Amino acid sequence: MTTLWKKAIRDFWTERARTALVVLAIALGISAFASVLSSYAILTRELDRGYLNTNPASAVLRVDRIDDELVNAILQNPEVSDAEPRRTVTGQIKAGPIQWRNLTLFVVKDYADIRVSKLEREEGAWPPATGEILIERDAFQVAKAKIGDRVTVKTVNGKEQQLLVSGSVHDVAQAQARMENIVYGYINLATLAQLGAEPYLDRLNILVRNNRFDSAHIERVAGEVKRLIESRGRQVSHVEIPRPGKHPHSDLTGILLLAMSSFGLFVLLLSGILVVNLLTALMASQVRQIGVMKAIGGTRWQIARVYFGQALFLGLAAVVVSIPLGVIGSRALCDYMRTFLNFDVNNYAVPAWVYLAVAIVGIAAPLIAAAHPVWRGTGVPVRVALTDFGLSRATFGSSAFDRLLARIGGTFSPIVFAMRNGFRRRGRLALTLLTLAAGGLFFLAALNIRASIINTLDRMFGARKFDLTVTFGRPYEWQRIQRAVENTQGITHAEGWLFTDGQLAPETEFTVTGLPLDTKLLDLEMLEGRFLRPGDTNALVINNRLAARTPSMRVGETVTLRIGTTQSNWRIVGVAKEAYSPAIAYVPLDFVQQQQPGMTNSLRLSLAQNDFDSIAIVKEKLDRNLEQQGVRTRGSASKAETRFGFDQHMLMIYIFLIVMSAIVGSVGALGLMTTMSLNVLERRREMGILRAMGATPRMVWMIVVVEGLVIGIVSWTIAAVLAWPVSKVLGNALVRAMLHGGLDFVFEPKGLLIWLIVSISVSAAGSFLPAWKASRTTVREALAYE
Amino acid sequence: MISLHQVSKKYETPAGVFSALDNIDLEIGAGEFVGVVGKSGSGKSTLLNMIAGIDRPSSGAVTVAGTPIHEFKENKLASWRGRNVGFVFQFFQLLPTLTVAENVMMPMDLGKTFPLRERRKRAEALLERVGVARHADKLPATLSGGEQQRVAIARALANEPPLVLADEPTGNLDTSTAADILNLFRNMATQGTTVVIATHEADIARVIDRRVEISDGTLVK
Repeated sequence: MTTLWKKAIRDFWTERARTALVVLAIALGISAFASVLSSYAILTRELDRGYLNTNPASAVLRVDRIDDELVNAILQNPEVSDAEPRRTVTGQIKAGPIQWRNLTLFVVKDYADIRVSKLEREEGAWPPATGEILIERDAFQVAKAKIGDRVTVKTVNGKEQQLLVSGSVHDVAQAQARMENIVYGYINLATLAQLGAEPYLDRLNILVRNNRFDSAHIERVAGEVKRLIESRGRQVSHVEIPRPGKHPHSDLTGILLLAMSSFGLFVLLLSGILVVNLLTALMASQVRQIGVMKAIGGTRWQIARVYFGQALFLGLAAVVVSIPLGVIGSRALCDYMRTFLNFDVNNYAVPAWVYLAVAIVGIAAPLIAAAHPVWRGTGVPVRVALTDFGLSRATFGSSAFDRLLARIGGTFSPIVFAMRNGFRRRGRLALTLLTLAAGGLFFLAALNIRASIINTLDRMFGARKFDLTVTFGRPYEWQRIQRAVENTQGITHAEGWLFTDGQLAPETEFTVTGLPLDTKLLDLEMLEGRFLRPGDTNALVINNRLAARTPSMRVGETVTLRIGTTQSNWRIVGVAKEAYSPAIAYVPLDFVQQQQPGMTNSLRLSLAQNDFDSIAIVKEKLDRNLEQQGVRTRGSASKAETRFGFDQHMLMIYIFLIVMSAIVGSVGALGLMTTMSLNVLERRREMGILRAMGATPRMVWMIVVVEGLVIGIVSWTIAAVLAWPVSKVLGNALVRAMLHGGLDFVFEPKGLLIWLIVSISVSAAGSFLPAWKASRTTVREALAYE
Repeated sequence: MISLHQVSKKYETPAGVFSALDNIDLEIGAGEFVGVVGKSGSGKSTLLNMIAGIDRPSSGAVTVAGTPIHEFKENKLASWRGRNVGFVFQFFQLLPTLTVAENVMMPMDLGKTFPLRERRKRAEALLERVGVARHADKLPATLSGGEQQRVAIARALANEPPLVLADEPTGNLDTSTAADILNLFRNMATQGTTVVIATHEADIARVIDRRVEISDGTLVK
């Protein structure tokens, strides 16, 4: 090994504490990047593989009734490789003495012969016998049941029945039951009959033989199957073509991973800044040595190689540290995502290309970061290098900013000195501020987005003046429902609404909600125009989602809509704001009731008390009263339950941002520590002079800590100023990507105070060690330092 | 050996143009031991820097051993310097993280002038020659000023340069140690190496062959 390389190693060893800090900071960045990249590789592989293993249906046709003969006829089509009928029934399951949860029952004819959209057996019995139910593994906690329990179940048109929970299954295609607050159950046809429903199948899952991932081909084959079914006198009400080969949540996973990848790269960039800082300082401290090496025959490239070698070492060390950290991180991330997306990761193996990519990025990032400082540092002419005055070459006072700073005075000169010191190495200060302010920005953004989400949901749910929604399997006469309501205590107001489908054009479908014109249970914020009012006949109010989808629907325009089976003209009178809502048009109830006079299929209730138990009691009583009136509910949801689902989705964004701010803040703190130790190193001689003039070690310590605090407070100021626009843009982007809606932005002032405390603490902690070292240096050592 | 023809050096400073050297003409023969004498700021170091190729003249020509070094670019100058010039500094300028022997080996590593295996032996021989061989594996900070300067001289001789330049080599040493160091330079010159030292000390006359006095950037006739 030549002396040049020995020098490279020993220089790093001499400054091992600072080197370790920078390695740690780079490792943090690379670990974050490696975690996300590994998770991306594992999740995309496992999600689609796991989903494809279930042989997902290419298309699902809703038919009025399917028998074996029809299935056999469909299988004659050479383009159809398989077809399997099912049935989906909604109902409720009792999850406590008086609590009912919404239930979706999947009816399978022959569990031994599931070929399409397969279920994975988990525990207990398989197949479920008559009178038994299998529950999706994630839904047990919603149902508050376990294998071996007897649960009470009722379907829309059936009667209350007890079923034995005989096992659990994993249905990859279903969303996390906890988040949806719904129970997925699996029964056979005979059990369905026991529940009082007619035992037939009505959903046909088909699998195309060729081009399984070609949507156009699937659409064509599904069209052929539809025509064949209809040619046999059956009705097909709906054809659903899921995205071929893609898990229903793969888009959401992609968005989350994209956001995380961007963050991983951002952290890597910030840690690159630390390398720039470290090497710039190293080069500055070595100017004279560089001059000597040049004077004794070293060329620029020969010397630059030494410092590039050091950057290479930083990268290699960081990669070695970060690969195991990245693997651990990716495992945690995969576990979180798989729980959230309700699928299994069978193989956590990280592909070789991920290691390669991480190694390349990890090694290249410090080299790139080092390029400028190294090349500039080694380019100093020998004469200039040899006359370098030990390190502080920049002359403070030469710029207008310095002179401005000089006007900031004070009675205690060490504090003034510390404050001005902070601005001496302005390039380094800027980079340090960037990392610290970025941490602050993410933190403030996290709090602001959280507050904005809460505000958005508060406003959204504030517009809904009802506490409980009860839906029915079919429209019922309002008088019957009203009687049941009147017999139920605790209800202060009830309204019957009617939901139906609407179409502007064949491809623009939306929900049409018929409301009483004097509704007291919906008070939407209007973006334009007005809401429905007594006297309206053909007036229509659309929500912002529908307005965005159909630009031709503008206030004042008259449009022809197909509502149910009739076509009619409507005048759009307003656009209402509804966050995270599907496309909805609101119309006068009387009008949609023209074909079904006095009928309603949804009941909205405001209650005297809206706590969890009171709602459950009202629900229980109302159900019984409705049953007495011959009205069967399909499902019910309290406002709190609906909000819970939203809160869970929002919580993910919030946690993601808080974790980001913690990591970025850590990189920032490491950056500050590096900067302060470099500042102290460079001013060692000055410290000696101060000590020679009578400064106590404590005063030297205080000067360094105050300098760190100045940096912390400036970084806080930058973060505080940028927090509003950044939070708004980031929040809107994340929420729009995940939930297709914007935010009602509010600023969380508490965040500023919290981050100020964090900034001061981090700055004090980051400068403590360098300050302590500075205060321990003897006057002789400090003055002799070159 | 060394020829400076009409060499001038001007620096741009915030206070205006500063002339460090003004139309210097100087010839130094091979094996000559020349002392450049002058007050602080007179231009001694600038003159040495011109000869070493550490700095470039604003005008004029610098030729060393027939090579017009003022025409060289930075990297070529560095390689040339490594093989042809040994430089000794006032503050020794040893690299603090390398041992004494490694400091001496560095010019050989940079110039690849000796096979890798021979470099250590040669460094030890040079340290022996200047009387600090026993410190070969110590770090410079553990040595006295005189010992560090001896190491710096050994380093200057590492590539057997025909020319050794020393800028105030005794300026930071006590009288006795300074005398020892000057004797070392004398021995070098006696053995054929051209030695030029810049100093503001008057009692150098006993060791040098020729005295060149410089004042305000011009040679005093």
